[in-house]
Amino acid sequence: MIEREIYQEHVKKTAPKSPMMRSLIAAFVVGGIICSIGEGVKDIVKLIAPDMAKQDVGSWVSMSMIFLGAFLTAIGVYDKIGHFAGAGSIVPITGFANSVVSPAMEYNREGVFFGVCAKMFVIAGPIIVFGVVSSVLVGIIGLFL
Amino acid sequence: MKIRKGSFRLSNGVYFKSGYTIVGKKEEDGNFSGNFDLVLKNDLWGEKSYEKAECKMHREAISGAIAKSNLTRDDVDIMLAGDLLNELSASSLAARNFPTSFLGLYNACSTFGECVLVGSMLIDGGFADIVTCSTSSHFSSAERQYRYPLELGNQRTPTAQWTVTGAGACVLSKKKPNFEDNLVKSDQVIEDMNEKDRKFILDTAVARVKYEKNHVAKVVEGTIGRVVDLGIDDESNMGAAMAPAAADTIIRHLGDFDRKIDYYDAIFTGDLGRYGKELLEYILSKEGIDLSDTYMDTGASYFKPEQQTFQGGSGAGCISTVFNGYILSKLENGALNRILVVPTGALLNKDTPLQKETIPGIAHAFVVETEKIKEKYSKKQ
Repeated sequence: MIEREIYQEHVKKTAPKSPMMRSLIAAFVVGGIICSIGEGVKDIVKLIAPDMAKQDVGSWVSMSMIFLGAFLTAIGVYDKIGHFAGAGSIVPITGFANSVVSPAMEYNREGVFFGVCAKMFVIAGPIIVFGVVSSVLVGIIGLFL
Repeated sequence: MKIRKGSFRLSNGVYFKSGYTIVGKKEEDGNFSGNFDLVLKNDLWGEKSYEKAECKMHREAISGAIAKSNLTRDDVDIMLAGDLLNELSASSLAARNFPTSFLGLYNACSTFGECVLVGSMLIDGGFADIVTCSTSSHFSSAERQYRYPLELGNQRTPTAQWTVTGAGACVLSKKKPNFEDNLVKSDQVIEDMNEKDRKFILDTAVARVKYEKNHVAKVVEGTIGRVVDLGIDDESNMGAAMAPAAADTIIRHLGDFDRKIDYYDAIFTGDLGRYGKELLEYILSKEGIDLSDTYMDTGASYFKPEQQTFQGGSGAGCISTVFNGYILSKLENGALNRILVVPTGALLNKDTPLQKETIPGIAHAFVVETEKIKEKYSKKQ
């Protein structure tokens, strides 16, 4: 039978590849739209409360986008957007909401305690760990600057 | 009778008394449409979880096969079953509804082949008269176990396959099926169901597998596969992991029985997918074996391209629904007379690729031949 190396080489050469151009364009467009919606929310918040501090406006935008991501996940739309857009809908904060809400929904059947609560961060866990660790590191570096 | 290491010939042959299949809506929309006994409108089938739904499909498929062969569950000596869920939970939970000796088998998506091989050996050896073989898989329960939550917005790679939502079961028997057994009793199965379960069945699908049955199918030979690993480590490219195992089994089978590939009317592999099928043809062509147009991969052929499953179907329910639905009908109406069935499986779990293990594959082969039944007994069903 065929040798190991020759076979691996053949598979590497012939395996179907993702359509790069299509993926990049879809990610750019959808990611851009999501960010534009975020900018829109920012403008609306500023319009409603002109005196609000810049940081607070940012928090409002994040909260709104997280809610939007979670809501679209719950009604079963976000996975379809993700199927089309790939990284375009994974990278923005709505994608983060999706990665927390989707396992929470999936494991709802195993109960609130060992299902939803235990499995909620199955996908987002690494992001949170990296976020916390890097914030500590940046904090320490900032202390000496 | 042992032919050579892992290859055997049954002394009398073991008959397929009946086959029964249950699939989801997407499967019915695919290329094998019209060949399944029962189609579900909703793949939860009124249950609270997809695992429970798979278990119910498995249970009903076994009940259906038993009813279709005019037997009761007390007539079955041994049940052989397998699926993809942790610790064979779908088959084990399904088996608790039967007063029957039970063997749970696992060889990933090739489990149906393993069931048929073991079942026919048990019968031919005189250890049982009636054996059921069944396997199931469910897209949603497999996604959750092997991949990601359903609602996660990620993209599938072009080499990915789509787990078939379906359960297939067959009844193997020592005695040649006779006229009475030919009456398809699919209606009975649905009548026996309670109102709640019946609600989720597609109306048009009720007992519509009708064809002229003038042959009976029997297992005559088999080759038990070896675990083959050529170092593929991409768990979303299972076709590449399984193709060498399928090639190994086919080469060994032909060598052991000293045959050419055109000895068979048709060759069916399990779920290599479109790319895996190409790879198998590539490996075999290097050995001078040309599979030509009598070869079909049930996974690659399962779905239509517009159903966006990339490489096609996979899962333990893939070959078992196609075999018990499509292939068995082709055998029984005489369109095919001697075939080689090679279910394939990728032997991994969620953790092995993370621990940098490569993915081994396995493939089992069994030969099915047909016998003509006397003219006066054959009947339009």
